[in-house]
Amino acid sequence: MHHAVLDHWSRGRGVLHARDGQVKILLLIALLIAVATTPRLTAANVAGYAITVLAAAALARLPLPAVLLRAAVVLPFSATFAAVSLLAGDSQRAAALVLKSYLSAAAVLVLVGCTPLARLLRALEGLRVPRFLLLVVQFLYRYLFLISEQAQHMRLAALSRGGWRFRLAAGAVANLFVRSYARAEGVHRAMLARGFQGETVLLAAPRADWRDWLFLLCGLVLVTALRFGGEAPWTR
Amino acid sequence: MHIPDGFLATPVWLGLNAAGLPLVGYLARQAQRHSQESRVPLLGVMGAFVFAAQMINFPVGVGASGHLVGSALLAITLGPAAAAVVMTAILAIQALIFQDGGVLALGANVLNMALAGVLAGYLPYHWWGEGRFRRAAIFLGGFASVLVGAVLAIAELRLSGVPIPAAVLWVSLALFTVTAALEGAITVAVVGGLERLGIGLARQPVEARPRGLAVVGLAAVLLAAVGVLFASTYPDGLEKMAQALGLEEHARALYSTPLADYSLRWLGSSWTAQAVAGLLGLTVIFGLLILLGRMFARRGSR
Repeated sequence: MHHAVLDHWSRGRGVLHARDGQVKILLLIALLIAVATTPRLTAANVAGYAITVLAAAALARLPLPAVLLRAAVVLPFSATFAAVSLLAGDSQRAAALVLKSYLSAAAVLVLVGCTPLARLLRALEGLRVPRFLLLVVQFLYRYLFLISEQAQHMRLAALSRGGWRFRLAAGAVANLFVRSYARAEGVHRAMLARGFQGETVLLAAPRADWRDWLFLLCGLVLVTALRFGGEAPWTR
Repeated sequence: MHIPDGFLATPVWLGLNAAGLPLVGYLARQAQRHSQESRVPLLGVMGAFVFAAQMINFPVGVGASGHLVGSALLAITLGPAAAAVVMTAILAIQALIFQDGGVLALGANVLNMALAGVLAGYLPYHWWGEGRFRRAAIFLGGFASVLVGAVLAIAELRLSGVPIPAAVLWVSLALFTVTAALEGAITVAVVGGLERLGIGLARQPVEARPRGLAVVGLAAVLLAAVGVLFASTYPDGLEKMAQALGLEEHARALYSTPLADYSLRWLGSSWTAQAVAGLLGLTVIFGLLILLGRMFARRGSR
């Protein structure tokens, strides 16, 4: 499954991989807010944001073409609305829709590409997101690929038996439902057998040290500069 | 319909995050406090199931096919509070891993699909899930879950000033209606499949509840419609398009409802007033969702 590529990226050894998860999340949100609230995207704005995202991807040693390509999954949606905006005579908004959604998606991708999901969730817990929800997300991700493959196998088996109709698909989904339910119970029993008592220990988070704080400070300064720099007199 | 980042106006995404995410947190805490601990793996694995089930295509007629969305199915089988938590987890994974839907727009997407969608998918089953209207209720749940989510998303986009001209609006509403009907049919077929497998996983509908819940639920649906109307009356983009095509009179006839006209006179016709009205409508919907969520969570605890 091609999404496993994110797992591969996130276990790399780039400069960004070593930084604290909470700091990275805060910086991502700051950047997203800056992009979202920029009233009129100037060329300087766009260049600033794009260079920042690309530089972050380079610092994380992510393959740039692959990042740019994966972020492009937002484009069909954005392009549709951009086309409608163009027809309505609002070219400024059309450009903003495409650029903002693409830049935001690329920024999220860089964060996920340099932080393993387990550490990301641990950092989110530190940011007061309810642990129960995070555990559900973690279990979901853990079994996502497994059950997806099971679904593909069932589909393939049905196809090779000659045909795929609405009723067959419904039967397959019902079957998958029951198997998943049974699997969940098996997983739970296995957890109980290993001493699970309703509390799960997530990965221990390394404490943020001075380098993380410095990174946060520099990042916030940069994002602020990008957000308000486009309006400064010397760029007009 | 997953809204990406960069589409919503700041007050819209800020407001929807501020309202939607604490509500999910509340539901998650309730689910955690009041359920057996087997719930954590169960909810996670069922989330993975919905993901996988979304990849299974359902052929309908010539070359066309659709797929399950799943919020109604989850609401019927796991109960609404758990379904809301699972759908939120799905949306989070989609936003983070698959770049499907934005991070700042997560609150909006969660409200549309995980809260309003699940609630709309559950209520018909809750009321008519027993007896001869059972299949119709399940169909209606699937139908409503998709349609409510889509209509709320459109309302939020319009509220944010994304121009959606009348023609596009009607075409997309028609498409969403077809998708919603397909979701209803798929949900009915899958629940039927579950029953044929002889496993009574589908939660039995709760015994007749006081009318309060029904009234509140209906009010929520009504208010959602009103909120969309308010949002739709905001004139930018729409009128430009209409003027360009010489369709202004026609468009006005399509869009002017007595209520909308009233709001125009009452609030003045400024954009801000319309946006405020729309946001107020959404805020009221939130209040109702929180109330309903509380009720469900309390009942789940018994």
